[in-house]
Amino acid sequence: MAEPNIKDYSCPHCENRFDSLEKMKAHMLSDHRGGRLPLPEGRVSMNINGKKYALDVKPSWTLYYLIHDHLGLTGAKQFCDRGACGSCTVIMEGKPVLSCMILAVECDGKIIETVEGIADAGHPLIDSYVKHHAMQCGYCTPGFVTTSKALLDGNPEPTEREIKTALSGNLCRCGTYPQHTIAVMEAAENLKAKKR
Amino acid sequence: MKDFVHFNAYTVDEAAALLNRYGGNAGIIAGGTDLLGKMKDRVLPSYPEALINIKTIPGLDAIEEKDGGLSIGALVTLSRLAEHSTVRSKYTALFEAAGRTASPHLRNMGTIAGNLCQDIRCWYYRSPQNRFSCLRKGGGRCYAIKGDNRYHSIFGGSVKGGCIAVHPSDTAPALIVLNGKIVTSKRTIPAADFFNVGVHRTTALENDEIVTAIHLPEPASKTRSAFMKFALRKSIDFPIVNCAAAITFEGKTVTHARICLNAVSVVPRAAVKAEQVLIGSILDEKSAEEAGKAAVADAEPMEGNAYMVQVARTLVKRTVLSCATSPEVDPK
Repeated sequence: MAEPNIKDYSCPHCENRFDSLEKMKAHMLSDHRGGRLPLPEGRVSMNINGKKYALDVKPSWTLYYLIHDHLGLTGAKQFCDRGACGSCTVIMEGKPVLSCMILAVECDGKIIETVEGIADAGHPLIDSYVKHHAMQCGYCTPGFVTTSKALLDGNPEPTEREIKTALSGNLCRCGTYPQHTIAVMEAAENLKAKKR
Repeated sequence: MKDFVHFNAYTVDEAAALLNRYGGNAGIIAGGTDLLGKMKDRVLPSYPEALINIKTIPGLDAIEEKDGGLSIGALVTLSRLAEHSTVRSKYTALFEAAGRTASPHLRNMGTIAGNLCQDIRCWYYRSPQNRFSCLRKGGGRCYAIKGDNRYHSIFGGSVKGGCIAVHPSDTAPALIVLNGKIVTSKRTIPAADFFNVGVHRTTALENDEIVTAIHLPEPASKTRSAFMKFALRKSIDFPIVNCAAAITFEGKTVTHARICLNAVSVVPRAAVKAEQVLIGSILDEKSAEEAGKAAVADAEPMEGNAYMVQVARTLVKRTVLSCATSPEVDPK
């Protein structure tokens, strides 16, 4: 079989085109210093609730779509889908963020925590939310719980004002707001007792 | 969302080259909180063919103290600014503006450069499926002029005299009064000259130009700055009017004043007349009131937004007064 006559090579790093393999190799060594080849398009690895995942995602997938529709972690809820309500909150690298406004393809290497992980770890927030009935329909609740968990991680003794500020991006149309400060305060107490 | 090609850029040059390659059909994504909403709603007649992620570029997320001033990387999130001790003590207006932008979650995602480069919020412009082909999209008319303009400009329009959509940034007026400079991949632009309205355009950036950092000079001694925002809700809402001020004192006399309003005009609006009123006078209730009046003396409200004139006047007054009493900075 004759050697294939390829006249079009494209650099895997930057997609610059070259007419011979040698030219492309020289370009890769000089411009990219022979660095590690990029991963296949859309391949991401992440740690979700302590479990490692390697996933192939489409550029248009949001993090919400990936964890809710693809991985089946249905705790995070979609409501506004525009970053205005807090229902889809997950914790990424320790901070509460809105999974509906993050592209999954940009989450490579991230540590993500969802409300399922918080519940599985037996976090006192879950019990105190149930006890103080900080919900009516419950649709927004996972977003509140994840936001509160991130708050308590960074600030084990929040004041009422700090709790209200932290939760100010979570909307609840049933109007359960007063219950959240009570529930989070109690969870903070229980968390301290648990650590003692 | 409709599909697009996604790139992770590792250098600013690479991101600029990709922008160049796609002509005007690629977008830069950092926090994504503005861009993804626009794409999900198909707000614009065109849809980006490619998104270029700049979060993967190392070194753009640093806050560094340099030559007495402060250099803030383009990728620094608003929540980091709202927690930073130097920003709090020396650049109070920016500290307060960053802390009042959007919600805590969005501040964890949104970047300072994104807050400056964000698009307008006019509800005709943002209406899903590109329902109104308005002047700002290259269309024939501004729908807000005869429509519902309760959150629109009180200082006239742009783009053929139409388009009365306001600039929604909270940090922009703070950076302007603090004499900030926007560093891009091509040049350095004073914050006051950074905003330039045109069709599909809110900034002076060229198509392949990327903001890389914001430089703030050392504030003059005995300078205090402050920021205030009026919005319907304390959290999440975009400003109806916001105001930043930086005032330098000698004794009790004002020697230098910078006041900037935003969300009242198509670009952040320096209240030059209010500054002139204050300079040389003693800052008190009366002079602050005069400054407020001067700031809105040439306002031309529309049918639905005359109330914004009153809000702007009061906000200027309160912001400059809080510079006199700001607990954050003790005059040296």
